[in-house]
Amino acid sequence: MNDIRLKRLALRHPYLFALLLLVVALGVNLYFQPNLFSQRVLSGNMRIFLPTMFLAAGQAIVVIAGGIDLSVGAMVSMVNAILVTLITRESTSSDIVVGLLAALGAGMAAGAFNGVCVAFLRLQPIVTTYATSFIFAGAALYILPRPGGLLPSGMTSFYRSTPLGIPLALWIAVLIGAVWVVVRRTRFARFLFSVGGEPESAYATGVPVSLMRLSTYVAAGLMASLSALTLTLNTGTGDPRIGEQMTLSSIVAVVLGGTRLSGGQGGVIGTLMGVVVLGTIRNIISFAQVPTWWETLVDALIVVGALAGPGLIRLIRGQREGT
Amino acid sequence: MENTSVSLSAQQMEKHYGGVVALSDAHLDVESGQVMALIGANGSGKSTLCKIITGVVEPDRGRLSLDGERMTFPSPQVAKDQGIAAVYQELSLIPDMTVAENIWLTHEPLTGGVLVDSKRVQEETRELLDLFSGTYSGKLEPGVPVSTLSPDERQIVEILKALSLNPRLMILDEATASLDAQQVDRLFNLIADWKEAGKAIIFVSHRMEEIMRIADCVSVLRNGETVGTSPIEETDEDELVEMMVGATQAVPRVEEAPKKLSEARTRLKVENLETRVLKGVDLEVRDGELLGIGGLQGQGQSDLLLAAFGVIPFCGRMTLAGQEVHFTHPRQAMRHRLALVPGDRAAEGLLMRRSILENLQLPSWMKYGFPLNVEKAREDANRVADTLNLVMAGLSAPVRSLSGGNAQKVVLGKWLLRDPNLLLLNDPTKGVDVGTKQEFYNLLNELRQEGTAIVLYSTDDQELLGLCDRVLVLQDGQITAELSGETLTHAELVKASLGSSQGNDV
Repeated sequence: MNDIRLKRLALRHPYLFALLLLVVALGVNLYFQPNLFSQRVLSGNMRIFLPTMFLAAGQAIVVIAGGIDLSVGAMVSMVNAILVTLITRESTSSDIVVGLLAALGAGMAAGAFNGVCVAFLRLQPIVTTYATSFIFAGAALYILPRPGGLLPSGMTSFYRSTPLGIPLALWIAVLIGAVWVVVRRTRFARFLFSVGGEPESAYATGVPVSLMRLSTYVAAGLMASLSALTLTLNTGTGDPRIGEQMTLSSIVAVVLGGTRLSGGQGGVIGTLMGVVVLGTIRNIISFAQVPTWWETLVDALIVVGALAGPGLIRLIRGQREGT
Repeated sequence: MENTSVSLSAQQMEKHYGGVVALSDAHLDVESGQVMALIGANGSGKSTLCKIITGVVEPDRGRLSLDGERMTFPSPQVAKDQGIAAVYQELSLIPDMTVAENIWLTHEPLTGGVLVDSKRVQEETRELLDLFSGTYSGKLEPGVPVSTLSPDERQIVEILKALSLNPRLMILDEATASLDAQQVDRLFNLIADWKEAGKAIIFVSHRMEEIMRIADCVSVLRNGETVGTSPIEETDEDELVEMMVGATQAVPRVEEAPKKLSEARTRLKVENLETRVLKGVDLEVRDGELLGIGGLQGQGQSDLLLAAFGVIPFCGRMTLAGQEVHFTHPRQAMRHRLALVPGDRAAEGLLMRRSILENLQLPSWMKYGFPLNVEKAREDANRVADTLNLVMAGLSAPVRSLSGGNAQKVVLGKWLLRDPNLLLLNDPTKGVDVGTKQEFYNLLNELRQEGTAIVLYSTDDQELLGLCDRVLVLQDGQITAELSGETLTHAELVKASLGSSQGNDV
């Protein structure tokens, strides 16, 4: 009976564990950095977290539907390269609009390419997106062979603004969460969870499984574009390899947020919390004067831990698999 | 009521899966206010025919017409839009979604055309659940994940899911298999209401008694071909079974008296066996004896078999032919020539995607040296396939291409290849057709004559009564009765199964 209640809780509120981690991580960070919640530090942190939030939110949608996208980081690099190539210091506002639309379009097209491969050609998501990540990374280097470019200062200072005393990046993060809360109540979300939970049952029920899969990759592509946009606004410049490290972060955040890697369970709210936890852990590592390669180790350990977790719990409880 | 009337006709349906013919010439006609029973042995194509009608499977050839107009159903959604809903044999539920989410999936009531109206979903789910009120435990609630429900409750959810579409044509594919008598009664009352309301119903079942009770018409499939359709009044059980089985006459049960059991040596002796479910079980089975295990489902019968085979941990003493053993892994049990035919053949008994040869030889490869003598393995596998009368496209065909009965033969065959002296069977004829069942019975009798000790758990009372020398009845993890000789009657068995409940300790 207790197990059932736990299960219900986990299904309804997958972010509870992330919330716990969030409180602990913020507490430790606050100890090292007493001015953590001052406007300046908060704004700085949120500007750094937001790109990963977009990316991880898109990853979460793909993972919930039973897939995975290892190419999102490369998409960020590609879109970043496109942005700084099309938008320069001298750009007029119409140039900027064209640049933004091109950026969004490129991300969605890249996502659609992944989606068609996975949903209609029925290729393995892991292998497919790992392979396409090289296409996107190559495109980034082709467009922008070496770091450079500069965005108009109006754009970067807009990203640093604090409407109503609250950093813009925080407003946007809240908006992502709010959009998910609404989406969670649509038929789309029901389809999403059904496709990730039991695709054959979903198909027999009349859920458009392939179309759903395609749409998750397009969504991930769109989110990668937005991630690249905010990242570019934060740095103000371009680097064709800027997104390389972000794929792993997006997956770690999804896992920390309580989304099951095998699909059918989870959410974006937890994922957003996961990003903050991850970012905060990095802050702590830098404050504790630990070499930065620990960051990657921590990321990797979290993924391995998350994958091993359910098995370990079963082992400890001495249960037999399958019953 | 013009818009509720419906008539569906499927003619000359054909469907091949690779080399296997699922349907060769199937027909089915059904109309408003009619319950059409569809029967046939396992692998005769009932499920395939149902799936064609619901658009899950596309036929290779054939005509499908709805209300006199020719139709094709390229996807399940198209059939659904035409008012056709199905309750599937393998459930179509998403385990981690709630009861309400599952029932309304793809037709959720919306507010403003976008957001799911969760209040209405709750209310309407409750209304649907009320149709079965009193027949399920209190656990079945709209907000509960389906994975936490028992099989009968899941089946109810599956039925309500189809009903929530308010279909014109309802297909019930083995929908009663996991329901208890009370739930079946309730379902039959509902079917009567649906008939009244002008719905058409296709009812697929192995249980002859149910078909006699509920059907207006019955259509018999054999090897993918419709061999007869008739109003229920004009036929009877024997005739239907004959049509299903075809030329091969239903063989009477072999009831030869085995060699004197009291002289045979004790193969397995279990004393005070305890697991998480079992609370101290003692039993003994001799060489050449067929010991039955009965009782209501889930009283610890599976645990008994699993513990003996070393699959689950247990406390207590176990002796094999006088030698004390305590298996902690199936491999140890196999070395002592034990064999277990598990209850869930797809998950525990077979590698569905791998070939029949690989499945048959999986426990025996070490016999064939290095490098493997595949020719010899193939010969042995062919021999056992012949003994079992396995209907297959060839040894290299994947097991998933086989029908339920034939797949179960593979499970049995892979253990026969190891020549076991103690065979543990967990409900081996579940979802197996009448003809194959009879083959199983004959085989078990042969094994027993050869001196193999057999422990058979079955949910089919007739099986226990017809085959076993002795039957132990389990209730709540304990043996509550031992039936043999004169006490081995159906009345005694049912009485012992229901027992007197000794208070609720839940």
